Amino acid sequence: MNTNQSIPLSMLFPAIMGLLMHSALLLVPFSLSLNAQVYQVYVAAESDDVVQRVSFDANTNQGWVDATINVGKLPTETEGPHGLTLSPDKKHWFVTIAHGNPYGYLAKYSTETHELMGTVDLGLFPASMEISEFTGLLYVVNFNLHGEMEPSTMMIVDPETMDLVAELPTGIMPHGTRMNSTGRKTYHVSMMSDELLEVDTYGFKIARRLALAPNQVTETTTEETGVEDLKELLNMDQSSGSRMGWMKEMNNQSASSEQHSHSSSTKTGHDSDVDALEHIEHKAHMHDAASQIKPTWADPHPNDAFVYVAGNGSDELIEIDVKKWAITRRIPTGKAPYNLEVSTNGKWLVSSLKGAAATSVVDLSTGEELAQIANSRRVSHGVAISSDSKYAFISVEGIGGEAGSVDVISLETLERVAVVETGKQAGGISFFTLIE
Amino acid sequence: MNVKVLSIFCLFLVITPFYLGAQESQIRLLNPSLELRVNQRIQLEAEVLSAEGEMLPDTVVFFSRARRSLVVSREGELQAIKPGIHTISAMTLGTDRIRQDFEVMVLFPPITRVDWEQASHTFYTGTTLDLAFEVRDSLDAVRSIDDLIISSSNQSIFSVNEFNQLSLHAAGIAQLNVLAGTELFSWPVEVVENKAASMSLAVTNSSSEAIKTGDVLHFTASVMELNGKPLANMPVQYSFVAYPDDQLGQGSSAQIAQDGRFVANHPGKYAIIARSGAIQASMNITVEPRKVRRSLEVVGKGIVPDVKTSDLWVWEGVDGRDYAITGTWGARGEAFLWDVTDPSNIHTIDTVQVDARTVNDVKVSEDGTIAVITREGASNRKNGIIILDVTKPSETTILSEYTDGLTGGVHNTFIYENHVYAVNNGRKYDIINIEDPRNPYTVGVFELDTPGHSIHDVWIEDGIAYSSNWGDGVVVVDVGSTNSADMPGAGGSPDNPTPLGSYSYPSGWNHAAFPFKSKSTGKFYVAAGDEAFPYGLDTQGPNRAAGWIHFIEFDGWDNPDEVARYQVPEAGSHNYWIENDVMYAAFYNGGLRVVDVSGDLMGDLYEQGREIALFLPSDPNAAIPNSTFTWGPQPYKGLIFLSDWNSGIWAVKLGEVQN
Repeated sequence: MNTNQSIPLSMLFPAIMGLLMHSALLLVPFSLSLNAQVYQVYVAAESDDVVQRVSFDANTNQGWVDATINVGKLPTETEGPHGLTLSPDKKHWFVTIAHGNPYGYLAKYSTETHELMGTVDLGLFPASMEISEFTGLLYVVNFNLHGEMEPSTMMIVDPETMDLVAELPTGIMPHGTRMNSTGRKTYHVSMMSDELLEVDTYGFKIARRLALAPNQVTETTTEETGVEDLKELLNMDQSSGSRMGWMKEMNNQSASSEQHSHSSSTKTGHDSDVDALEHIEHKAHMHDAASQIKPTWADPHPNDAFVYVAGNGSDELIEIDVKKWAITRRIPTGKAPYNLEVSTNGKWLVSSLKGAAATSVVDLSTGEELAQIANSRRVSHGVAISSDSKYAFISVEGIGGEAGSVDVISLETLERVAVVETGKQAGGISFFTLIE
Repeated sequence: MNVKVLSIFCLFLVITPFYLGAQESQIRLLNPSLELRVNQRIQLEAEVLSAEGEMLPDTVVFFSRARRSLVVSREGELQAIKPGIHTISAMTLGTDRIRQDFEVMVLFPPITRVDWEQASHTFYTGTTLDLAFEVRDSLDAVRSIDDLIISSSNQSIFSVNEFNQLSLHAAGIAQLNVLAGTELFSWPVEVVENKAASMSLAVTNSSSEAIKTGDVLHFTASVMELNGKPLANMPVQYSFVAYPDDQLGQGSSAQIAQDGRFVANHPGKYAIIARSGAIQASMNITVEPRKVRRSLEVVGKGIVPDVKTSDLWVWEGVDGRDYAITGTWGARGEAFLWDVTDPSNIHTIDTVQVDARTVNDVKVSEDGTIAVITREGASNRKNGIIILDVTKPSETTILSEYTDGLTGGVHNTFIYENHVYAVNNGRKYDIINIEDPRNPYTVGVFELDTPGHSIHDVWIEDGIAYSSNWGDGVVVVDVGSTNSADMPGAGGSPDNPTPLGSYSYPSGWNHAAFPFKSKSTGKFYVAAGDEAFPYGLDTQGPNRAAGWIHFIEFDGWDNPDEVARYQVPEAGSHNYWIENDVMYAAFYNGGLRVVDVSGDLMGDLYEQGREIALFLPSDPNAAIPNSTFTWGPQPYKGLIFLSDWNSGIWAVKLGEVQN
């Protein structure tokens, strides 16, 4: 018998497959190097209920939509995909569905197949989020854009199993969540109380607050609210499956509304919840004064020493020294800066000027605005900067039946080099990858 | 290299990563047991071991994956809240995190109360009874009969089978024993001799007319002793034998309820049988086809070629001409005004464009002067409603934009007595006074208090609001009930909306609600419609939907009973209208369905031959060409107008009976 022929097929097959797999792995970088330099971002079209992956070839300055993924559960209603983020390993993308039914939710998709992997219910109008590389958990704020002027919450989600882990009270209309480089702190702003909030990702609590308006007093910087308060609430109301927002709604119902709501007849037993909530509100130290700054976004510098805030109502960018927990610079800019991002190399601060339909680029070393670059249409929204700090990708909403877009801006030439039309009301945007 | 060597080398390449992957660090819990009683607290103890089994200095943090049922602090203080098997996660922090899940068993509390609902009945030999218990545990939670072990102390007197039925064999006294955990509950059961000698069977709602498919017959069986004396509490089982006309693989041909109601889906002969113990009675009936099918002709259409059409409203203008308004979906924020006076020549006369992507709903006031359109997707995120002057529809003007508290988007509205009921951000409906349509103001709000509540639509009739609320079902609210309302109100008003009743069903698909009083029976129903897209939605091509219309009979606001359904197997329901015992229903890809809903309603109306007509609108020049996706109908002046998502507005007319 020929020995060579005596190898069972069941052994030979995996062996050949193994060789092919290894060969393929060796060939991938080689084949990519033959291709163009392609940047990819994910962008959410809020009025079309789709998320799209946009590619941009830096060699040709050509961009295109290479994938469109329908999101949402109620196809004939606009559910509003709003915030986007990617897992640190880039295997998954996450989108917040803002309108929901009526509570929004978080959906997780594979970047490889764009298949829905799971969802978890969040609060009212969940918006921006990021995943901490330190805890592995996802931190998302419930913007509650259309609700009452009341404290909202940040929700903490296990992105692996899509379970809600904790919920902590924060400011009024919280928005613009971004993580520092270690994943130990995440920052967001409270739009209607003019505050910057720092969250301890391990402690599940608001670590510090900073008043952003001139002459505004920061009342609390330590001993903040956290998950323990939520645990108290949970212990009080386990049977209802209620959530913070819901209890707040009950609490806020006026005497007249009690007469016409079901809650008037079923409210007994919740008094303790209300007391607890008032306790939390008291601790949250919300400001009654009208918001001046209307901050909409916060992003820490890659060196973790500074945080930058978009003053949407005051037309300025605000620099905060993290160690001193104090404002160090106010940089005037165009009308209504909305989202912002610091480039990975730490040199530039790029912000979308919602009211000016333009993108601002600021040199952080001097505080000088290097350029205001007109966007391709009105209502500039999100900012995502490439990992090599060469390009800024700006989502622009458009109006009515007009398509949204991703405007590609070269941070080297400070020019708009490409426009890719997307679904209507392009909003949340997140940088995915650079294929070299 | 020979093949053998190559193969071994390749196998090494394949196996190596798996082998390396198997060497993993792990978290080990030191607690001897993870079994807790409700409210019990324990402190979790954990250690981290390297792949080699050495203890590592990492800190372990915990969180619950069922935080409504099991609370755990990051430090591992665990408290059981609800019974069941729940999962906690333990993990270390940092970039090389280790994560492991652990199951925690929370024991069900002991059952402390079992009430046997039939304990006071008289029990007769030879009969069978379905046992019914109310079971509660020490936390007063309702528990299932499946948690009980039920038995007889004397099998020769009575026995209990696996379906929890009591079979009464011989006269005598024995104990009915119910074991709930370690707790034993017991009742003496006295079985008396069954003196039933005869049974009679009658139809209590008989008519001189022939019985047709869909007609609900009420059978009543009476059991008597030899002397003719009626026997009380005699359990009676109803059944039937069917001899349908079509016996070629025919499916279920009829339905009988255990209160004696019977309805045939298909024509044929039926033997209705009532049985009690060893005696029985039967009655033969013949069921004929319902024969309600009518022809339907297209009178006219207004094709919308570039955007999708949403809702419609047709009305008589103050000038005596007939008009329609239609909304648009996912487009440029337009509403189209149509002249439909000559339904064979439907044409646009004006377009209103607002800052929105979707104008989902359009409604016109009873006097034909005011229209309200809804906004979603406004560029400034202030959606709300737009109030229009449609006194002269060809020159429609915007009277006001109202966004106060409505910025999240309004999906549906209803105009009733100078008030707009606006579904607000899917959470509640706001009630807005429009006596001065240039200066509207909110006077009331109705919102449920259930967790995660949401609302889709609201319809007002006789001062009573019927809202459709997905998982919370249909909710009935008095917003100023009138004497013509079918049942008494509760003194509500627009600024004091007062709940009257509600009905929900398990699917959570409740999307629309339409109240109606049956002309033929006087019974009051709410038709509750589903909306579901299990196959997704392609905005650029043909689609399919699912769901049906539930018929809920209200015999008092607190006594709803779902008695029938209309389900088109290949399509799903959307909007509908019921008038003079005829339902006009849009079934998306199933087009327009005209359905006879006269008489008592029971079972599956689709199977009963009640469909009067079917129409599938489509047009080669439509936004989605040659494809049906019907949104909503409205009967008007002998015609049926309908909007179709794919194609626009249509007018059709019923013709002659076709049988």
